[in-house]
Amino acid sequence: MIQPLSGIQNTVAALDAERTRLDVISENIANANTTHGVDGKPYQRKVVVFENALQQAMGGPDANSAMTPQLRVARIQNDNRAPIEIYAPGNPDADARGMVATPNINIHEEMADLINASRAFEANLAVVKNEKSMAMQTLSIGKH
Amino acid sequence: MTPLSAIPQTMYNFGTMPGTDAVRPNTLPTPGVEGPSPLSQPNEITPGQSTGDSFGNVLGKLISDVNTKQNAATAAVDGLQSGQGVPLHQAVIAMEEANVSFQLMVEVRNKLLDSYQEMMRMQI
Repeated sequence: MIQPLSGIQNTVAALDAERTRLDVISENIANANTTHGVDGKPYQRKVVVFENALQQAMGGPDANSAMTPQLRVARIQNDNRAPIEIYAPGNPDADARGMVATPNINIHEEMADLINASRAFEANLAVVKNEKSMAMQTLSIGKH
Repeated sequence: MTPLSAIPQTMYNFGTMPGTDAVRPNTLPTPGVEGPSPLSQPNEITPGQSTGDSFGNVLGKLISDVNTKQNAATAAVDGLQSGQGVPLHQAVIAMEEANVSFQLMVEVRNKLLDSYQEMMRMQI
């Protein structure tokens, strides 16, 4: 099979991973005020853990496989920081003291993460664009 | 959708083009030479029966690869539009790959046609 854009397989994997990170950040922002999740507890902030492709290549479990190591999302895990308690006795989720546990989500932190993920996505898109431009320029070798 | 499916069969015929087999020294008239015997030595070389794939096969494989790329791009776009969870960037990158493969095939075709026309312009 010909691979005209041979270098972009890793980039596509990175785009997938950054896309997942953006999804998780948007979930965190959307649930910043969710005090009652499916399990009855406040929403727990989620973080995406990327697998270290370099470490995998230098002697990880897949070191002997023929596949080239690629970036991927290893897991999406809960951030175990404690919820913030605010006094709101009118809230149906309030306990006996009138305190409501709200998710410990700092919207500024989430926005910074969002910009970070967005810029990383953009950088990978630039790689794809550059790769395509190089391929098209190579095809025009010898043209006048 | 197989937009290029008819072309590989056509291209396989390149391997059996009359030019590759018919042009042999002993079948050509040899003006100025008394008989065909001095030219019998190059008969050992038979271009049509060389080892490995013929050029037509290589070209046919290239074209079927391009066809595969086009089909993959179509499948990705279909998956995107029918809501099967194909991410947007994958569909676009599949389309770009198909585009570059197609351009490569067109360049090969242009080179082939150029060399053919150059041959036909040759003064004998």
